Amino acid sequence: MSLLEIKNAHLKLDDKNILNGVSLSVNKGEVHAIMGPNGSGKSTLSYMLAGRDGYELEEGEILLDGISLSEMEADERARSGLFLAFQYPVELPGVGGMSFLREAVNSRRKFLGEEELDHLAFVKEARKEASKMYVKDEMLKRAVNVGFSGGEKKRFEILQMAMLKPKVSILDETDSGLDVDALKIVSDGVNAQRNNDNAIVVITHYQRLLDHIVPDFVHILSDGVIIKSGGPELALEVEKNGYSGLINAA
Amino acid sequence: MRHSIKDDYINSIKNYTNQYEDTNFRKIACNDFKSWPSPREETWRLSRLGSLSRKKIKPINPNLKKNNNNTSNLVGSKIIQFIDGAYREDLSSKLPSGVNLSVLSDSESLKYLQKIKKSNLSDHPSTNVSLSCTPSIMKLTVSKDTKVKDFFEIIYEGGEDSQSVHPVLYLELEKNSSLYLIERFNHLTSLAMPLQLIELRNKASLNSIKIFNDNEKTYNLSANCVYLSKESYLNSFSLIKGGIFTRSETHAYLNGRNAKLNLNGIYISCNKQHHDLTTAIYHDVPDCTSKQIVRGVLGGKSTGVFQGKVRVEQDAQRTDGQQMSRAILLSDTACANAKPELEIYADDVICAHGATVGELDDDQLFYLNSRGVPMDKAREILIKAFLEDMINQSVDNSLHDFVFKEAELALSSIITKEK
Repeated sequence: MSLLEIKNAHLKLDDKNILNGVSLSVNKGEVHAIMGPNGSGKSTLSYMLAGRDGYELEEGEILLDGISLSEMEADERARSGLFLAFQYPVELPGVGGMSFLREAVNSRRKFLGEEELDHLAFVKEARKEASKMYVKDEMLKRAVNVGFSGGEKKRFEILQMAMLKPKVSILDETDSGLDVDALKIVSDGVNAQRNNDNAIVVITHYQRLLDHIVPDFVHILSDGVIIKSGGPELALEVEKNGYSGLINAA
Repeated sequence: MRHSIKDDYINSIKNYTNQYEDTNFRKIACNDFKSWPSPREETWRLSRLGSLSRKKIKPINPNLKKNNNNTSNLVGSKIIQFIDGAYREDLSSKLPSGVNLSVLSDSESLKYLQKIKKSNLSDHPSTNVSLSCTPSIMKLTVSKDTKVKDFFEIIYEGGEDSQSVHPVLYLELEKNSSLYLIERFNHLTSLAMPLQLIELRNKASLNSIKIFNDNEKTYNLSANCVYLSKESYLNSFSLIKGGIFTRSETHAYLNGRNAKLNLNGIYISCNKQHHDLTTAIYHDVPDCTSKQIVRGVLGGKSTGVFQGKVRVEQDAQRTDGQQMSRAILLSDTACANAKPELEIYADDVICAHGATVGELDDDQLFYLNSRGVPMDKAREILIKAFLEDMINQSVDNSLHDFVFKEAELALSSIITKEK
């Protein structure tokens, strides 16, 4: 059984067809990359998966580990093990990083029937994971994403992923706004979490991220459908010939 | 249309006033009270007293045997207790050296009246009615060079249904003195009309917190007049959460160079509460600073009002005046009004204001939801953060937790209701 199964997903925004029948199966241990030009529906796909209000499916189904997500709100999906790393992480003035992480982790633990971590145990765990992502203590004391640089925001996203241990992570343009060094730190952070029990879907414009997070499968999204799927070599083809060649061929 | 005052209220004020021999200041004040402010008056347009004017109310005769409610106080703070508008020495703490509390004599009271009358509070109903009906004007003085380490808490309690209470205070911080003052309004009365005159002499510093938490049926018309001398500093924060109608009106006069004023506030309103924070800041001399941050959280059918006027006189060059108000509406039937006003006659100033009214941010809610935090909890986190952020910016560090807890108590009921 696939860990994430998207079946014939259709979605409209303001009466405009954005997703026109996306189907995708992601198995445990796999990394999939979804590439596509601007406006192809990549971010819509990630919001739809995460359960954002207004991004409900017109038709089709999504299954996470065999369970349908269609009737679940965003928070329930997250607790069930779906994680979205935002392209533009949202600033939360007044909400401290540490308490935010704790709230998120304990929500997931409660759902899994695990005991909530007490304050000390949590802080210890958070600091351990944070140091791996080069997230300093001082950053965890600040308000979430407020005054963070582009690199800090993305590192904080991957730290959340590490703490929440999701089944499926969707990384929406995680490379945007990152310089070469930051890209490496973030990619290393993601790679460290790859294992045989989870799966990762990387959404990106560019091939460069895929040099660091090497996918098992690459899919090209255009006009709301996957027009071509293949191995990592497909990303290189995009890099060489652009999207237009592939789209025209399809 | 003017709100007529029921004859019996005017008569009861007159009768009340006649009890006293020191009637000079009372008589003047009593004669000046002609009516409740009309909604045609610009500053009362958004906060109308129509329903108050229809109530049968008379000034309270303080019961000097009534006990206090043992309102929980900050550990180790000095308590000054008012019940039914009257100071109660028997329930108050012994004052440390350098701090003095006294009753103003008739002639001193007359001077007090004149000072208030010179300000733009002269026609405020609390000025006239409270000076007519107060048991006495209490003066709290901090002597020159005294830096009071203890927190002072003034607790206003008492009152009865259909009665009005009239605590009147004169606070003077002499040269180079400082004080932390917390005031709690916990009246059980129909109408509370606290009146205050605050004078900060050169280099004096006052950290003031006012918590309005009167009974759910109480009208509180608090009137405050503040004079700031050279290099003095007032950091004022008001939390309005109680009463059916609470209006805190403050007029602050920056009269000495390099005086610094923060006039901040939060209102947390639910059901049919009406909360109003009205301020006027007068920059009369150069080089003064005033900053205002106001935030509101409104649920149910409540209404919030922020009126903030900043007037910069021609001589008041290099004034720095900032004002920002934000309100969050948690229900479709709540309403927030913001009316910033800048009147600037000087040309070398930095003045800015901004006002927003809105709902909780969808992106922020989704971000929290996407991390597994349920909607109710996400809303609670964001509302608390909205206030905590502001409290951290505007309240002295030593009082953050205290103020935040007071706000949290009011939030818990409003968040549950707006689920």
